Amino acid sequence: MRLFELGERTAKVHESLVTLPELAENTDVRAVLLDIADDPAALKPYLNRLELVVLRFPIFRDGRVFTQARELREYLRFSGEIRAEGHVLPDQAAFLKRCGVDSVVLPEGSDPELWKRQLDRFPVAYQRSVLPSRPVGAGLRIEEET
Amino acid sequence: MKRPVRVGAGEKLVLTANRLLDGTIVWRDRLGRWRPVIGAAEKLDAERVGDVLELAQIRAQEDGVVGVYEVAVRDVDPPEPVTVRERIRAHGPTVHPEFAVETVQ
Amino acid sequence: MSVPVGHYQYDQIDRDFLEARIAEFSEQVARRIDGSLSEDEFKPLRLMNGLYLQLHAYMLRIAIPYGTIDSKQMRMFAHIARHYDRDYGHFTTRQNIQFNWIKLEETPDILRDLATVDMHAIQTSGNCIRNVTSDEFAGAAADELVDPRVHAEILRQWSTLHPEFTFLPRKFKIAISGSPHDRVAARFHDIGILARPGDDGRTVFRIFVGGGLGRTPIIGQEIFDSVPEERLLATLEAIVRVYNAHGRRDNIYKARIKILVQALGIDAYREAVEAELAQMDLEHYRLTPEMVDAIQARFAVPELSAPENAAQELANRQRENPEFDLWVRSNTHPHREAGHIIAVVSLKPAGGIPGDATSAQMDRLADLADEYSFGELRITHLQNIVLGHVRQDRLYDLWSSLKEVDLASANIGLIGDIVACPGLDYCALANARSIPIAQKLGARFGDASLQAEIGALRINISGCINACGHHHAGHIGLLGVDKRGEEFFQITLGGRAENGASIGTILGPALPEDDTVDAIARLVDRYLGIRKDGETFLDTLDRLGDAPFKEAAYETV
Repeated sequence: MRLFELGERTAKVHESLVTLPELAENTDVRAVLLDIADDPAALKPYLNRLELVVLRFPIFRDGRVFTQARELREYLRFSGEIRAEGHVLPDQAAFLKRCGVDSVVLPEGSDPELWKRQLDRFPVAYQRSVLPSRPVGAGLRIEEET
Repeated sequence: MKRPVRVGAGEKLVLTANRLLDGTIVWRDRLGRWRPVIGAAEKLDAERVGDVLELAQIRAQEDGVVGVYEVAVRDVDPPEPVTVRERIRAHGPTVHPEFAVETVQ
Repeated sequence: MSVPVGHYQYDQIDRDFLEARIAEFSEQVARRIDGSLSEDEFKPLRLMNGLYLQLHAYMLRIAIPYGTIDSKQMRMFAHIARHYDRDYGHFTTRQNIQFNWIKLEETPDILRDLATVDMHAIQTSGNCIRNVTSDEFAGAAADELVDPRVHAEILRQWSTLHPEFTFLPRKFKIAISGSPHDRVAARFHDIGILARPGDDGRTVFRIFVGGGLGRTPIIGQEIFDSVPEERLLATLEAIVRVYNAHGRRDNIYKARIKILVQALGIDAYREAVEAELAQMDLEHYRLTPEMVDAIQARFAVPELSAPENAAQELANRQRENPEFDLWVRSNTHPHREAGHIIAVVSLKPAGGIPGDATSAQMDRLADLADEYSFGELRITHLQNIVLGHVRQDRLYDLWSSLKEVDLASANIGLIGDIVACPGLDYCALANARSIPIAQKLGARFGDASLQAEIGALRINISGCINACGHHHAGHIGLLGVDKRGEEFFQITLGGRAENGASIGTILGPALPEDDTVDAIARLVDRYLGIRKDGETFLDTLDRLGDAPFKEAAYETV
């Protein structure tokens, strides 16, 4: 498993990763794998002990992962690591980061250089994300902290 | 998107695709080359088409084509597609006669 | 010409962003060509930059935000038509332009050329928030409450490469209008927005969700009556977030927001959106008056002034020249400012291809825009071109110039103003050709006096159930269907997109192309025979139902 870090946070490998239904009985587990159809709100009772939430792309076109990540960050104020895995493209790197994802399990054969380049691609954004930002002139444009 | 192709009496199948770089419609000839005229296409029997199609799809990236599939044609020279859609692909858009495509080289 | 009238003026930061997007796309193209991106992976990426693979070639759809361009941009379209295509382009029902004979390997060059005039193809396709459409008479119409283009621009910016909403279940279309006369078909959009002035001097929005045509035509329902300006972006974030999380992804034909709104019901959808809003940090998403004003400041406003006798001059010309008079009656709209008028240039010449324009026509239109309308042009959702601010005393000269380039058809809103999708001549999805039947109908009813006599009547033609020709919304709608490899057309009557939107009902069995043209001719004859004074086609249809029309249409069949 090759991990790619989208931002400052260091990706941490966890010995055990359980699914949402398994979380209740495994009280010492710190990492959970959320299914694409799972509602992140179901993690509420476990947030204090969770260090990692893994979101899984069944296919790169399934954009629910982005909303799951934002809900974790914005609604649940989850401050641990969020990781994406599955079928995901480097072209999605900045979107993931801006929705609150910290790391990616690189798919087989995926070039980390492409991921890096994608993160530095755009000088500004036209909408707020979960990242801290400052306005660029007047209007909607912002620059985000990397 | 796989459309089942029915082959009627007096009909054969040819393979078609678009060229990756410019989108040009191409037809597969006897030697496996992709040619821009339907007249060059190899006419296949229904029994043979599966194998040839599978091979052509595997080679698509290498051959620089995209979206390989089979088309039913009347067994004449040059072959004439059975459906309106494929006739338009073979001959060009009906609303611009000046863009008509040659069917033989 | 300095600052363009009618659209947002880019600065260097906007241009740097665009350049980064082009670099990104160029690399994606290179990865596709070298095989590191498969076609399945590349397809959504190219689509979100407007590039389709159609029947004969690639097709590139270029964004025209809120349908407004300046003359330099129009000349760039002419350049693209000449250098990269076959000397013409096609204006679409979503106020964009598309080119039909594009090569993949040349698209980065085209995008770089476009960027020199601050244009792009971002989000003109794909399962993302598409280019935002607006009222073609914005900022000019006498009936307008608010110029919606400033907020349309805000929505364009907000939706551009939105990190959360770029891989939605399906495409997502937003339209915004600022007039009580809905010219954007707000209730046939995923989100339709009607802007009006609020008590505090800011703008207030009425929002509809879940409208759309396509396979399952549904009229949008009101989700909020009065959203204050500062809540606009938060509200849209919440609406789209609910859709992204819960919209169906298992069936492409059930993936639009309209299906989700139908499944939940509008009240439950509203509750879900309110639940999102309750959890959101509203301050984070606040659209401040300063932000709006800053964007507004990037729009130049035309300095209008006309001589006192402008209206009189126009009236005199109309009296002297009946042909001009006919054109003025059908192809103009009242302007908010005395002495001015809105002119609509028809791209529907009798027997022509609806919405197509040659590079020469584009160049000429650009010149005329400079000469008569502050260099500004708008594309209408009925595929025509608007010159928004013409002095009434100069309208005759404009018309005379249009005549020289075959752009003076007097048929706006009339039976010759046909909307047709590209159909099977170009489109990989179509079942039937739309253009040839449009050409036959256009030629059949080509005479301007005949069209004036028939009055308001919209024909919309789609080549398949995806309904890009909006046949459900046509007063007369035609849907191409495939019957054993042959093209047939199903007729619907009574659709309308304006206020009181409704979906047409099917008249009877589908007919072959020529029979369809004859059937419509008989149907129109019947209408002329049975209408009361002052009745439009829709009035007569509403009064009598479709029985007399059905009888006429199927008379000989």
